[in-house]
Amino acid sequence: MHSHQYLQLKFTKPLKTTSISLLLAATTTAHPVAFEGAYQLMFGTAGDVQNFEFYRSYSAQAAWGFHAMHFEDHQDEIFTGLQHNWLLERWNLPSAQANIYTGLGAGLAGETGNATSPAAIGFFRADYETRRIYSALDAKWIESPDLSRGIFSASFGVAPYKADFDQLNTWLIIQADHVTGMEDEIDIIPKVRFFKGPYFLELGSTLSGKPVINLMIHF
Amino acid sequence: MKIPSLIISFMLSANIANAAPDRVTTIKTTVNGMVCSFCAQGIIAHFKKHPAISNVHVDLTRKLVLLEERKGAAITDQEITDHIKKSGFESVKIERVTEDFEKAKAN
Repeated sequence: MHSHQYLQLKFTKPLKTTSISLLLAATTTAHPVAFEGAYQLMFGTAGDVQNFEFYRSYSAQAAWGFHAMHFEDHQDEIFTGLQHNWLLERWNLPSAQANIYTGLGAGLAGETGNATSPAAIGFFRADYETRRIYSALDAKWIESPDLSRGIFSASFGVAPYKADFDQLNTWLIIQADHVTGMEDEIDIIPKVRFFKGPYFLELGSTLSGKPVINLMIHF
Repeated sequence: MKIPSLIISFMLSANIANAAPDRVTTIKTTVNGMVCSFCAQGIIAHFKKHPAISNVHVDLTRKLVLLEERKGAAITDQEITDHIKKSGFESVKIERVTEDFEKAKAN
């Protein structure tokens, strides 16, 4: 079967909606660039999608690394590629921080074990946070010969207490996702974020009951 | 003879002035943008690698990075500024005090 036909068959409309929404939930977690010299390991699972990212920040403004996504459905699908992330602007304020990021990646997508279709990924992100309030806007784009979608996400969170540097941080976050070109629907994902030291964990669920788990570590 | 002696004594005194103090110094650095402990891990990671630093503490409430210099060693203000920048933040004030590190942490 021609790869074009093959991908068209695989990415049926409901599958696309579900997969991309959950992909977004699994990838909009924290800053895409860490401190200079840092390695960042991220793993997320949300329903039928698993996301894996490993980046090296070679400066406080740029990181590059490996990005893989796995979609579980009637057939297993995978995207693997290299991605570069940039911190375009950062505002370090006395009691707040705001950031603008972008990123581009290229790789291969297709059925697990036979992922040969070229694919590209890109994103734009803006966030603002204090010790009590967190907000972020994400726009992501995924492009392959048979798939072209814009994905938008807005997150807002509050910390029930101001945690010190060595304490466990807790955040209550609500996230809204929208995928263009699909049914006009918005997915709402309530989640709880914990972090302490270099460890980061998010637990949540879509309103339809699909679990959302994100793990991250800096070293 | 007098001029070379003066030059030598001037060089020696300048050298003494630049040498690391023979006591432990605590450095208080005010840093902007430190609102998230997960994001500020780089501050600890960078300063722990510096041979002149024996202790690091981040105080999010007071927006301070506290550094303890090793006895007989020194870190320059420029190095502090650079380390904070590499961690993704901005230092706005560096103050050297004789206060004990643990005391400065507790205050």
